[in-house]
Order: sequence, then C-alpha cells, then structure tokens
Amino acid sequence: MASMRHSARAVLGRAHRRHYLQAYLFISPVIVLFTLFRIWPSLQTLYFSFFKVELLKGRLTYVGLQNFIDLAQDEIFRRAIANTLIYALTIVPVSAFLAMILAVLFSEHFRLRELFKAVYFAPMVTSTVAAAVVWWWLYNPQFGLFNSVLRLLHLPEQPWLLSSRMALPSVIIFSIWKTLGYNMVIYIAALQAIPTMFYEAATIDGAGPFQRFVRITLPLLAPTTTFILIYNTIFAFQVFDQVLVLTGGGPAFSTNVVVLELYTQAFQRYRFGYASAEAMVLFLFILGVTVVQYFYSRRYEVAY
Amino acid sequence: MGVLLVAALFLAIGLPGVSAQVPTLTLWYPAGEITQTTLPLRDPTLFAPFEATARVKVEMVALDYDTMQQKIFAAAAARNVPDILFIDTSWMPGFLKEELLEQVDPAKAKRWLAAVTPEIVELSDYGKGTMWGYPQMGIDVYGLTWNKQHFREAGLDPARPPQTWDELRDYCRKLVKRDATGKIVRVGYAIRHVGHPHGVVHKHLWAIWGAGADLIDNPNALRGGRVKFNNEGGRAALQLVLDMLNVDKCTSLDFPDPRAAFLRGIASMQISETVSIRARQPKEAPDMPWTTGWGMALPPARKAGDKPATLLGAWLFAVPRGAKNRDLAWRAVEWVNSEINDYTLARKFGLTPRYKTNWQKEPFKSDAYAQALLKMAPYGRRLPINLGLNGIMDALGGAIQKAWHGEATVQQALAEAERLANKAIADAAK
Repeated sequence: MASMRHSARAVLGRAHRRHYLQAYLFISPVIVLFTLFRIWPSLQTLYFSFFKVELLKGRLTYVGLQNFIDLAQDEIFRRAIANTLIYALTIVPVSAFLAMILAVLFSEHFRLRELFKAVYFAPMVTSTVAAAVVWWWLYNPQFGLFNSVLRLLHLPEQPWLLSSRMALPSVIIFSIWKTLGYNMVIYIAALQAIPTMFYEAATIDGAGPFQRFVRITLPLLAPTTTFILIYNTIFAFQVFDQVLVLTGGGPAFSTNVVVLELYTQAFQRYRFGYASAEAMVLFLFILGVTVVQYFYSRRYEVAY
Repeated sequence: MGVLLVAALFLAIGLPGVSAQVPTLTLWYPAGEITQTTLPLRDPTLFAPFEATARVKVEMVALDYDTMQQKIFAAAAARNVPDILFIDTSWMPGFLKEELLEQVDPAKAKRWLAAVTPEIVELSDYGKGTMWGYPQMGIDVYGLTWNKQHFREAGLDPARPPQTWDELRDYCRKLVKRDATGKIVRVGYAIRHVGHPHGVVHKHLWAIWGAGADLIDNPNALRGGRVKFNNEGGRAALQLVLDMLNVDKCTSLDFPDPRAAFLRGIASMQISETVSIRARQPKEAPDMPWTTGWGMALPPARKAGDKPATLLGAWLFAVPRGAKNRDLAWRAVEWVNSEINDYTLARKFGLTPRYKTNWQKEPFKSDAYAQALLKMAPYGRRLPINLGLNGIMDALGGAIQKAWHGEATVQQALAEAERLANKAIADAAK
C-alpha cells in the first residue's frame, strides 16, 4: 500500500514537472526575446553608466560615479527634469480626470454614443508622429486652425509652439488629446463592472447623482484610477516622439525632456556613458514614483 | 528535355553566383530636399561609366536626414558601415572623435587643393592640407534674397540690395505691409527663430561673423578652445534683429519659415541657402523668376567698408573606416570628383563646378546665376570642426531664441550661452 502511494506520488510529480516544463517551453520565446531586447540592454545601460564609452573604438574607460556627478551639475539636464516633471504632473491627473468624466457621460445612453466613443478613441490608434505633424500645422501662428478660431472670436492670437512660455503647454495639450481615449475606455470598462444594485440602493436611500458619484463611483474606481495614474506616469516620464516632432526640445530648451536629452547626448554628442547615466537616473525616478503611487493609492480602494 | 532542365537549373544557380562576384559599393546620402547638392546622387545612372570600367555595382541609398547620423553610427558600431558616405560636415566632429573617417591621401589632397577654387579649399582643408573627403558639387552659400517686385512697389532700386545693417533696417521699414488693423501681413525681412537651434544659428551667422564675433576661437581645433560670441560683436548681431522687431516693427515672430514666407510673397527679404530658393522657386513661386522676380547677393556688412561674411554649406564625400571595399570606394569617390566629371555633372544638374579650369568653360563662364554665386563664395566660411560644436550651436541657438522672444536680455542670453557652450567644449574634450 505504502509503495503504491509512493509510486502514485512519483507519477504525479513527474506529471507536474512535465506540465511545468511544457508551460515554460511555451513561454520561452517571449522570455528569450524579453531578455534579449529589454533586460540585457537595461543591464548594459547600467554597466555603461560607470564608463566613458567609445563604441566605435571598442573602448570603455572606467570613470566610477563621474557621469552621475556631471549630471548633478548639468543645468540643461536639470532643466529637462523640471520640464518632464511639469509635463507628467499636468498630463497625468488632467487626462485621468477628463477621461473619468467622459466615461461617466458615456455610461448614459444617447444617440450616436458609439460614434462619439470612437471619435475620442481615434487619437489613440493614430501614429504619434503623424498626429504631431498635423498639430504642428494646427499650431502655426499664421495659417493654423487654432489662431484662425481665435481670430474669428476676436481673441488675441497665440504664438503656441514658437514661444518658450507656451511651447510646453502646447505639447501638453496635444498629449492630453492623444491619451484621453485610452483612459476613457479603461474607465468605461471599470464602470460597467460596478454592480447597479449599489446605485439602486443609494437612490432608495435618497442619494443624489453627485453623492452617488462621490460615494460609490469614485471609490470603486480607485483600483482603475491607480492603474491609470501609474501607467500614464510611466509613459509621461518617457515622452519623446511628440516633443521631437513638435518642438525639437526648443525654443531655448523650454520643452527639452529627459529622454530627448539622453538621445541628444548619445547620438549627437556620442557620450554614451553619460547618456546611460541619464537613463539610469530616469529609471530610478520612475521606479520610485511608481512605488510611491502604488502604496499611496491603495488606501483609497474600497469593497462594498 | 532533361538537358534543358539541367541547363535552366544551372543558370538559375550559376547566374546569381556570377553577379555576386561583382562587388557592390554602398553609398548613403540624405533623402529629400535637405540639400540640392544631392541632385546627382538621385540619378541611378550616375556611376554607370565607373561601374562598367571598374566592374563594380554602386548602390545609392537615400536615408532620412534627421536620423542619418544615428544610422551611420549604428552601422559603424555593427561593423556594417557603407563604403561611401555623403555627409553633413556638421557631423564631422563626432565622426572624427570616434575615428570613423579615413583621411584623403595627402598627395591627392595636395593636388585637389591646388586645382579647386578658394571657397572649395575652405571647405576641403581642415588644417595643414588635411582632407577628410571631397566637398559637394555646387556652391551652397547663404545669401540675401529679395523680391524685386516688392522693391519696386516700395520705391527701392530692385537691382540694389541693402549693403549695410542700417540699410537692411531702412529697407525693412519700407517693405513691411500691414492690414487695416495694423497687423503685419508681409514682413520686410523674415527671421528664423524656431525649430532646431542649429538652423537658427546658421541663418544668423552672417551677422555674428560680420560683427567680428565667432563661434569659437580656433575653428580647426578638434578639442578645447573657448567661444567668441559673448562680446560687443555678438551682442550687436542679436540686437540688430531685436531692433527690427521692437523698434522698427518691420518683422515678426509669426513668420517662422523664412524661405516659405519669401516664396509665398509674405516676406520681402530673407537670408538662407540660395540654392534652396533657386530649386524651389519654379514650383512654389513661378511668377517670381530669377533676375526679374528675385535677386541674390551677399548679406549686408555691419557698416560701409566692412567685409561681409556668410556661411558655406558643406557636404562631403567620405570613406569610413571599416568600409568593406575601401580601395574601390576611394576610386569611386575620386572618379565622381574628377575634373571631367566635375564639369559634366555640374552642367547636367545645374550646379556649379569646383575646379578652377571648369569655371573658364561655358555655361559657367557666362551664366549669371553661377557667376553671382562665384562672387559670393569667397566671403563664405565653413563651420568649425570642434567636438563641442553641437553644444555650441545648441547654446547659441537657445540664446538667440531667448533674446528674440523677450525672455532674456541679449547680455543675459549670451552670457548663459557662453557658459553652456564652454562646458560643452570641455565635456566633449574629455
């Protein structure tokens, strides 16, 4: 009897191992590719950040923390961090808030609702570069649509991308337009998961629309909001495409962001070690902000 | 039937094998309208005679300009660099730092420098007869272009452009046009103040150099040095445009693309690459033909008696280190830049020749446009070769933008640019 149980356990164990082996075999292509194109370059970047890198000569000169010390004294990099922070701190909450409002509006039934949903989602499926080129023309002070509308309304025309003061807000407006649809769709899905009985019970208890929104919708959307805030923050800190196309980082470094700065250092100044250090700083920054966001947001999650 | 099949199979396998024995030279050049000097490279038969005699195939590949520098670097890092590059010389400092380019044979360089015109020597010689490639066909000089009809309407002599800065301001005031509300609808002189900071600097170097300032103290030094634009000349150069904006009110920040504005007829004067206006005018401004519609001359000097200065745009045929067919590549480069091909190709593509002897031949000897370029070219200078050049241009371009946008005084902007640029020079030299 004991030996039968032992054999059965051995057979089960082998079956489990086979099962796990097959599972890992199936996901191994993804793991290999992820390792090759994500993990390995990240580790290499970390390694390079401690060296002066002369790629074509195949020469690495160890400099220790010198790249990071130079970074701390680099006012252009500090300005890029400030611009990136302003960008992220604006676009993330504004985009999330507007998306939530839109999602709540779209939870009501009205004519052409699906069409409007598609209109708001369309920017998400458009290439960022193509959209940025179009917006560059929309922002043109002479021929652009925005100033044409302002002229019609007898309002003062704006320099938009041509002004150091207005360029970053102009890029932010574009980015909000671009990301709004995605956030809205996430919120719509989350809203649909909220049981209607909560709203019914609240209505019976005399809660008005605003109270229902604040007491039921908002708290139950907290996990979704956490996800949207973290997801958007990560991408906001890595903004590059639209800045490169719309302004190139100017005028006068007013829209220069961290990723654009590290691109400039790597591919125009050939300072790969320095650019790697910048990338590492950005990585640690994003990681820190994400962790803080995650733990801070969890306290607002509720279950009814 | 079986014999036929075997023969067909043999041909199918054998022919590619035969053609594979003919080496292929790859040449990379920038696509699009970034420079008219790439016109010959867009002709797939350009190297046909050379291919026939050298038994080689030359494959010309057009790349997007904005990412070309990065692609060259990536190709070199992957040990898969093309055989010939047609590059913007502003990329050279970085390439030289990484020892990416091969030097032209000193004996051949000496013969070239003796045979070409002075502005081509300026573009070719990187100090003591050192050449890193052969500069492009066609003089690419930054000049003042003006709309002759606007001049006539304003009571100005259409054949006489402004010669000094004061005249430039005076002409600008006379040429500006406003609508009923007082808004400028046509600027007297269009300025470039947005976009890539290098472009902003390129289009204002005539004033910076003309006022006695400079980008750096030693233009031929690869490492080290200090900038030379935070001085009276640099401040005067920036103040000139500020005065046109705020005092004369004859220009505006709302016309950000000077060439497009000029060709659309909403700018009466502008300073940029003359070859670009020449190439774009037939399509974009067919009613403004060369000589009767628009004119071209050197940018104005600071005051009467001063020597004007301008920028020479420079591109280079270069052979990178690690080119798989190095010897053939040099032969191809020397062939396309030979005296006979210099004449033939310049004539065929409407460019200007580089050899002194070719300028004595028709049509260049009597062509008004070519001769006008030749008169302007000796006043042209190329960009310095310093490793910190990108940082210098970024800093100075930023300063120009800040000053003209009213976000800093000229003194503050140039002082900050000097600090940033000198740091870039020092960092690049490490």
